[in-house]
Amino acid sequence: MVRRYWRRGRPECAGHEWLAAAAPEKIMQITVLVALTLLVLTAFGFLTGRRRALAVRARSGPRLHSLPNYYGYYIALWTGGPALVLLAVYGAFGSGLVNTLAMSQLEREAAPLIAEFERQLDSDSDFIALLEEAAEAETDALEAREAITRARDAGLDPQAFQAALAGHTTRLTEIGARLGQRRADIARTVAARAPSSDAGIRARSGFEFWNSPRERRELFLADARAIAFGEGLASRNTPELRAAALAMRPVEDIFRYSVAALALSMAVGGLAWGRSRIKASFRARNRVETAITGLLMFASVIAILTTLGIVFSLLFESLRFFASIGWRVGDFLFGLQWSPQIAIRADQIGQSGAFGAVPLFAGTALITAIAMTVAVPVGLFSAIYMSEYAGPRVRAVAKPILEVLAGVPTVVYGFFALLTVGPFLRDFALFLGYEDAVTQSALSAGLVMGVMIIPFVSSLSDDVINAVPQSLRDGAYAMGATKSEAIRHVVLPAALPGIVGAVLLGVSRAIGETMIVVMAAGQGANLTANPLESVTTITVQIVTLLTGDQEFDSSKTLAAFALGLVLFVLTLMLNIIALRVVQRFRERYE
Amino acid sequence: MAYDTNPAPSTVYHPAPPGMQIKVAARDLSVTYGDALALDRVQIDIPDRSVTACIGPSGCGKSTFLRCINRMNDTIDTARVRGSIKIDGEEVNDRSIDPVLLRARVGMVFQKPNPFPKTIFENVAYGPRIHGLAANKDELAAIVETSLTKAGLWKEVADRLHQPGTSLSGGQQQRLVIARAIAVNPEVILMDEPCSALDPIATARIEELIDELRENYALIIVTHSMAQAARVSQMTAFFHLGALVEYGPTEEIFTNPRDQRTQDYITGRFG
Repeated sequence: MVRRYWRRGRPECAGHEWLAAAAPEKIMQITVLVALTLLVLTAFGFLTGRRRALAVRARSGPRLHSLPNYYGYYIALWTGGPALVLLAVYGAFGSGLVNTLAMSQLEREAAPLIAEFERQLDSDSDFIALLEEAAEAETDALEAREAITRARDAGLDPQAFQAALAGHTTRLTEIGARLGQRRADIARTVAARAPSSDAGIRARSGFEFWNSPRERRELFLADARAIAFGEGLASRNTPELRAAALAMRPVEDIFRYSVAALALSMAVGGLAWGRSRIKASFRARNRVETAITGLLMFASVIAILTTLGIVFSLLFESLRFFASIGWRVGDFLFGLQWSPQIAIRADQIGQSGAFGAVPLFAGTALITAIAMTVAVPVGLFSAIYMSEYAGPRVRAVAKPILEVLAGVPTVVYGFFALLTVGPFLRDFALFLGYEDAVTQSALSAGLVMGVMIIPFVSSLSDDVINAVPQSLRDGAYAMGATKSEAIRHVVLPAALPGIVGAVLLGVSRAIGETMIVVMAAGQGANLTANPLESVTTITVQIVTLLTGDQEFDSSKTLAAFALGLVLFVLTLMLNIIALRVVQRFRERYE
Repeated sequence: MAYDTNPAPSTVYHPAPPGMQIKVAARDLSVTYGDALALDRVQIDIPDRSVTACIGPSGCGKSTFLRCINRMNDTIDTARVRGSIKIDGEEVNDRSIDPVLLRARVGMVFQKPNPFPKTIFENVAYGPRIHGLAANKDELAAIVETSLTKAGLWKEVADRLHQPGTSLSGGQQQRLVIARAIAVNPEVILMDEPCSALDPIATARIEELIDELRENYALIIVTHSMAQAARVSQMTAFFHLGALVEYGPTEEIFTNPRDQRTQDYITGRFG
């Protein structure tokens, strides 16, 4: 079956329609087959190792160093390990390599078309005129920006210049669109000149790929792969894509078969090598230990690298954001106005976009403070009751119930805040004569978030209070302290660092909490300390900036990354402090 | 309870030393932890201004006996105390007695030094503070100094009173805990294996201290070291399986034990 499409897939074959209906699952089977064979070989390796070790033990020679199973594991590791690594590497980088090889071949075939396109582009009068216009608009925009800065520095109202800048920006966008249009027109005429033979289509395919911007290239490759190997659904199905798919297949086949062959021979080789090393004196146990250590280390490296990756992506996107607002980092961190909407047309309001994040920090701080005012006393007191006063029977019932709170999804808390607590607080405020009360307020979000955090504080505090040695309590009682004196004077001070740690972890939970605030705190970026007004937080704004239809490189979207970075740094610092405090706690008693 | 039907354990009492003043007197004192009988109808008279050592194999009830005297058994949910124990003729187990006030009169030192996570000064000042013994700061400082001096620790810590108590060495911590106990001016000091977590040099210091404290207090000390009991105590009580087996002046017990079990224990045949 595999062989058949090879033959039929030759470029001489004129119609490509059959390609979409080819049977890619046959190729998948090879990978599955190789994986299964590897499994069988590994199992066989284990049995061989064990059997050989048993045979060595049966001979009355020197004592076998390790238990027979370890020899089995050793051979299994040699059989499966390298081959699996090879397959993993191929899985990670193989398709990219195939794409590059196939497409660079097509691009070479498209060389005449590319040359022709560049020649026409350079000589096209419309295109040159548009370029000049763009340069002019750019200069105007630059001047307008400088004028705004000068006006600001001079304490004048820069509004007139801002309007001009918006005009220039719009003009630039328009010119950009026309430039793209013209370029596409030329590309189309050039491509149309290629013959509709197979070679021509291949050249057109290479040309289209060459002429695509980065994102379009990825889409092109994805579509071609979808046609060639049935990886997902193709968004288009053009002759060019089919030609690319056709170019990919043989390359992919060569890779697949050679990797499969290589993996299998590595497995067999590993098996033979492992087998040849088994002697009574061979320290299989230590070797297996080393391999396990390596595996554990690999796992932790993955965790660390993932974290690093996230941090770096946040960092780079944040840098892009700061670049887009002209490196006014101070304005972002200390600005008092947050309105990230950027105008698409000149006549829209709030065109310039204000990225002063202080209202968000203030909102986050307000809600966190409200939440902790609820969570710390309730959590801590219930922890004290649970660990010091409650009998074992009460404890057995009450503690799990308290911990159920931690299992409630935050979205449930969210609509509880929105539908129950919010209206109640609003009505109560109205009843007290506060006229501006709203349903979505910092107070309702904060209160409900506090309830959510209670189990974190209480559970962790309970643990640290229980960890205070009984001898300290006995010492206090023996001094004639009452129970509450013993708790206040001795137990709590001893547990304090741990409790502080628990509270800080609660705070970082509160800062990072999203769902409750999205639903219950409102959206208005008000800079206020009034808990009955609606506020917005860092997390809510990230959600707002990134959901919905957005271009992914506007400052509006990129602002989300900068906010994310701030959030990350905040919670990281809190966690580090919490960990430090908890660490000190361990040294306290001795 | 089942043990009530059994005959009360018999105790060998050696003649008391002449002119002995009784400080603590126990009559028919029994303690159960849940269903387990820890102390079975103990009768004992403990003299004032001397050291009484309680010896016996592990689990014989000597610590339980000690904890009856300041009602520390109250802090254990399953513990039940019966019978009578009197200090200066006053019933300890009486309902009218507030255990909190009782513990101000009966200090206790534990096996493992347990200074509070506070400064050295605050550790010693803790008792006087909660019992309101000092009218002002100077008085409090005076109490702290006297107590630390009595515990033989003043010279070592005078210049670092505001460092945490946990920064001291094990032996110093134990003396700090003793200073903490005597700061509330108790009448009786209970010590539950006070030297078992210490090295020989620190042990020697504590033993010296115990000998000095005898001038002013009634001390009752639980110990696993026969040599220590012989060195520091004037009276010795031997407990076995919750019963008081033999009680009398330390010399008598060690040189002339009358019960076979006492003899076996002090000659190291069991325990």
